[in-house]
Amino acid sequence: MKQIRALIVDDEDLARQILREYLSEERDVEVVGECTNGFDAVKAVTELKPDLLFLDVQMPKLDGFEVLDLVGTEIAVVFVTAYDQYAMKAFDAAAVDYLLKPFELERFRTALQRSRRRLEEKTPSPAVDDLRRAASGPGQHLQRIVIRDNARVHIIPVDQLDYVEAEDDYIGLHTGGKKYLKQQTISSLEASLDPARFIRVHRSFIINLDKLGKIEPYTKDTKLAVLTDGSQVPVSRAGYMRLRELVDSK
Amino acid sequence: MHPLFRSRIALLSYLAAWIPIGCMFGAMVSISGGLTWSESAVVTFPGVLALVVLVLTPWYTCRALPLRSTPPAKLILTHLVVAMCVSTAIVLVDKISVAVFGLWLPDLRGRFHGAIPVAAFMVLLIYLLSVALHYTLFAVESSKQAEVVSREAELKALKAQVNPHFLFNSLNSISALTATNPTAARDMCIRLSDFLRSSLRLGERTSIPFAEELALTKTYLEVEQIRFGKKLKVWNDLDPACDDCEVPPLLVQPLIENAIKHGVATLVDGGEIAIRGRKIQNMICVVIENPFDPDAPVARKNGFGLVSVRNRLHARYGNAGRLETEVNQNRYRVILTVPCERHRQSAI
Repeated sequence: MKQIRALIVDDEDLARQILREYLSEERDVEVVGECTNGFDAVKAVTELKPDLLFLDVQMPKLDGFEVLDLVGTEIAVVFVTAYDQYAMKAFDAAAVDYLLKPFELERFRTALQRSRRRLEEKTPSPAVDDLRRAASGPGQHLQRIVIRDNARVHIIPVDQLDYVEAEDDYIGLHTGGKKYLKQQTISSLEASLDPARFIRVHRSFIINLDKLGKIEPYTKDTKLAVLTDGSQVPVSRAGYMRLRELVDSK
Repeated sequence: MHPLFRSRIALLSYLAAWIPIGCMFGAMVSISGGLTWSESAVVTFPGVLALVVLVLTPWYTCRALPLRSTPPAKLILTHLVVAMCVSTAIVLVDKISVAVFGLWLPDLRGRFHGAIPVAAFMVLLIYLLSVALHYTLFAVESSKQAEVVSREAELKALKAQVNPHFLFNSLNSISALTATNPTAARDMCIRLSDFLRSSLRLGERTSIPFAEELALTKTYLEVEQIRFGKKLKVWNDLDPACDDCEVPPLLVQPLIENAIKHGVATLVDGGEIAIRGRKIQNMICVVIENPFDPDAPVARKNGFGLVSVRNRLHARYGNAGRLETEVNQNRYRVILTVPCERHRQSAI
């Protein structure tokens, strides 16, 4: 039987303790580490390369969704949470395994069994954007974007974004003259951002309305958005119409 | 009885408002009938006096015919008929006074005759205006009442609310302790029960002694300290002079809950919550201070607890109760100031 390397992530000692207790009875599972916050969890995943993550949702530094966002989709994840009406619905909808605290041994074993199957079949984890969007409830938008650069984690509050640019499978996040790359589609990011503040001005560009300086004509059909920091972003015809609509409605 | 008679000021202002209306009425009669100002004044005075009383009658008729449930035809017809009756009555009163004063001024009757249509029409108008004003008054009153009812319902819901996240996490801690430390598990069960029991019991009351609120808060913190272990430290400095002041229940505990949830729990190494209570003159001043992580994810942490406490303070004390917040670097401070009331009679 293949050994499963598990990592427990929860900020409460007692919550980790019960997982450890239940896992100690599983012969094929080895607990390779325990973390008390999101930063440590990302670091531990990089260093210890676990197969399975027991992940609390509300934690210091990074929440469970941000951790999942950063560690990639190769790892099987079981979310462990006390109560969150939106998260529960989101987990159900995305077919993510989750345990509601307090949970019994039977329920725990079912979740573990499902994870074993996932690992054998190498089913990738679901798209974290959709999951987080569903879990944050109606009217809630992404507040910050997390990016991993090897073992380092960058946190970009969305207010500080200037614009976002699509580059193949990646998006380039421009903030304060710096650029960070993240593997994500521009459409999925657009769906998570507040539509009243971020506009898709072009197939490959999203701008932060607060950072918009002026609009200049460019070619016959397109325009150029000049941001407050001087950077220039192309605006398509459809993008210009969306922009006008939003500005007029304000 | 009409609400105007409930307050002397309202009645006096109502009468004062009639001075210009009465003058206008007299002026119209004078102009349309060719009466002198003084003739018009003496002739119309009794009628205006009667009108002052009669325009208050819509308070009864409007009540009997609520706007929403009365068919429009019936509504219009009834008010119009009553208005015409009132108009006829006032013209009659005017005619009587013309007949009396006509003993001295023989041609008065003839001249007044020309003013009758104007007088009748004006009375009709004033009466119908009063009907409209009364309906407005009822609408304002019923919306005020609805607001009070909804606020009461909201307060009730807030008081009964125990944060489910806290409850399930505590139960999870108990579940973990049963295997390794059954005594501690039992201890936590008892503390959690104590907290739930007292928050249910106190939540039903409108006022509780401040000491009881503090006891509830202490039980709450004991449960949280088992959950968070070394991460949660508490420092108290409470003036016993506040103890027997009466305050609304669950005023301090939600603030502590906030301090943990958005403060200590966001920090990797936790932190200390400082609670200070002082009696300053006739006010209780509670200061709660906690460290927090300014970079913590902010989703859905709009301080629901603070909003609810603030609403309840406002509902109870108006501007006399305050809740202020301060952010100083990585420390968050909440300052609660409420009047110290003793043995309120209204223990509903």
